[in-house]
Amino acid sequence: MNTPKNYRWRKFVDQVMRGSTVVATGCAVIPLIAIIGYVLTLGASALSVQFFSDVYQPPNMAQAATDGTAPAFDPNDPFAGIGVPTDGTAPVDGAAPTSDVYAGGPVGGVLHGIIGTLIITGMGLLFALPIGIFAGIYLSEYRNERYATMVRFCCDVLSGSPSIVAGVVIYILVVIRTHEFSAIAGSLALMILMIPIVTRTTEEMLKLVPESMREAARGLGAPTWYSTFTVIIPAALPGIVTGVMLAFARGAGETAPLILTVLGSNVITTNLFAPMASLPLLAYRYTESPYPGENTLAWGAAFVLMMLVLCMNILVRVATRRRAGASR
Amino acid sequence: MKTFPARAIFAVVCVGMLSLVIAACASAPAGKPSAGTSDSAWKPRQLNTTVSGSGASFPNALYQVWISVYTKNIAPGVTLSYQSVGSGQGKKDFVAGLTDFGGTDSAFTSDEVKAQVPDAIHIPTVMGGVLPIYNLPSVTKPMRFTPELLVGIYSGEITKWNDAKIAAENPDVSLPATDIAVVYRSDASGTTSIWTDYLSKVSDTWKTKVGKGSTVKWLVGIGAPGNAGVASTVQKTEGAIGYVEVAYALGDKFTLPFVKNAAGNYVQPLLANVSSAAENLAINDDVQQLAHSITNSSNPQAYPISAFTYVLVHKDTYTDATKAQAVVDFLYWGLTTGQDAANRLGYAPLPDNMRQAAIHALHAVKVNGQAVLDAPIK
Repeated sequence: MNTPKNYRWRKFVDQVMRGSTVVATGCAVIPLIAIIGYVLTLGASALSVQFFSDVYQPPNMAQAATDGTAPAFDPNDPFAGIGVPTDGTAPVDGAAPTSDVYAGGPVGGVLHGIIGTLIITGMGLLFALPIGIFAGIYLSEYRNERYATMVRFCCDVLSGSPSIVAGVVIYILVVIRTHEFSAIAGSLALMILMIPIVTRTTEEMLKLVPESMREAARGLGAPTWYSTFTVIIPAALPGIVTGVMLAFARGAGETAPLILTVLGSNVITTNLFAPMASLPLLAYRYTESPYPGENTLAWGAAFVLMMLVLCMNILVRVATRRRAGASR
Repeated sequence: MKTFPARAIFAVVCVGMLSLVIAACASAPAGKPSAGTSDSAWKPRQLNTTVSGSGASFPNALYQVWISVYTKNIAPGVTLSYQSVGSGQGKKDFVAGLTDFGGTDSAFTSDEVKAQVPDAIHIPTVMGGVLPIYNLPSVTKPMRFTPELLVGIYSGEITKWNDAKIAAENPDVSLPATDIAVVYRSDASGTTSIWTDYLSKVSDTWKTKVGKGSTVKWLVGIGAPGNAGVASTVQKTEGAIGYVEVAYALGDKFTLPFVKNAAGNYVQPLLANVSSAAENLAINDDVQQLAHSITNSSNPQAYPISAFTYVLVHKDTYTDATKAQAVVDFLYWGLTTGQDAANRLGYAPLPDNMRQAAIHALHAVKVNGQAVLDAPIK
């Protein structure tokens, strides 16, 4: 065996190309690491017991409350302890006029957002589940019908459409007609985003069930509906659950559809027909605030949200690995 | 024919008695401020309802404090929520009937009111100022602006910071030769409407070429969303100039500049100066015409780019009486007790005549023809 004449050249090219793919992979991961790192460093400082147990507090009042300068409520001076009265006189040289609320740290918490996100996303999932799973069954078990091809195509278009579109649709169909921003409208918007995910994963998972199992069921005289519910779905269940969790993670992280449908709130509400808070909305609104304390809360909310989605994804990984192990 | 006078007398008596009853129910002498009523005379009703509003970001800090104190200590049954989504969105939500009240810094024009919400009432709640902010690291003293400079910069006629016209107003400042990067609001905004209202008042060219409104066709510059967006764009761009409301300038530690007012004095956007812009204001008697522009005021101490911020309420289309009561009680409380919070939070409280006109307007809110507010004007 002679070494080819251009061996060294080929080896060189191989190394360069392999090197560049490694670098490219690294570049692709950098944004993720940067985002996680950034949110971690900035969001972690917002995390405290109060962050998880308290709701919105106006920065000025809460500042006084944490300083211990806020006296008990006095009906004759309900605003005692908020800032320093300036009597309308000048802050000299453009200094802030009140006891510096602008320099304060985060106050209050995002419990209302956490509860709101869970309710809105949970309701959305509840709406999306039956539709998505049944559509998935149809696409998989009757995969060659022309209507199925059409539904599959529509589903792909839907999953690729920007989430704000779902928000606009529900805004026009529901919010404008009911004359009310409501949690339920938000759930419906999220439902639109979740349906294609649930449908397509259900379909793919059902397709993975070997044809021989369907044939065996048929051979034993089981009608299609019976074999689908007792043989096919149980075999594909872990995969379907994966799709459901992915859909939840997708829905929990959406901001755009919620801006147009749930408006947001500063208190814990469980009324599904009234505006409700949610984590992504809080992160969005607090980012726009002039108070650094609220900006920090926004990072905290982003951090919690990211952890939620990350945990969901990890759970999905664990679930699928177990399934792969079991089938082997 | 003989019975006619008797009938007429009967009718007059009926009307008279009815009006007495209504007056007693409302216990509000319409139009005449009744001085000297003590705080204990009136208390907000203890209602059990949910009220939601959305709109201007500028008064947000004040409204949140009002809401917090009101719902914790004054009327615990009421759930109030105000989301700061911007004046443009707040008006849209209010017109579509999605919120119970709206917040806005830019009033509807009377034509818009007729076309979109014929029964809208603007209730002024507090005052604030809009100011130019700039990013010139070498300049430490507050800059001085004249209306001509602001118009020149925003028209693209003055393009360098060391322009002779700027230097003439700022003799002790060493101005860099940096290009001026103009920043404006890209979203529909009350701040923009105050800013352009002012520029239109001081320059006829601006009035004809650009005009005023919550969004206008800008001659130069780049857009940024929200007060926060403008502030951060200016912070990141050396040589940039933008306009924001005072709370945002203070929050991001911008220097408050001096602006030359109509009387020729250079004033900073401080509370007293903003208040001064509303002094001696002739207030329209029509409760639906409470929106007054106070930019370029001729008062000697007035900060020229000042404005009222408003809460929008419906005059007679509230269907849920309890909700309507909760809205007007809260606003009445804000206009009386709540004004004490304004000063402490860096807002300018309303002058007394405007406050009384606002309360008078609250009395005009009716459900099924019945006045909703039962509190005195004070």
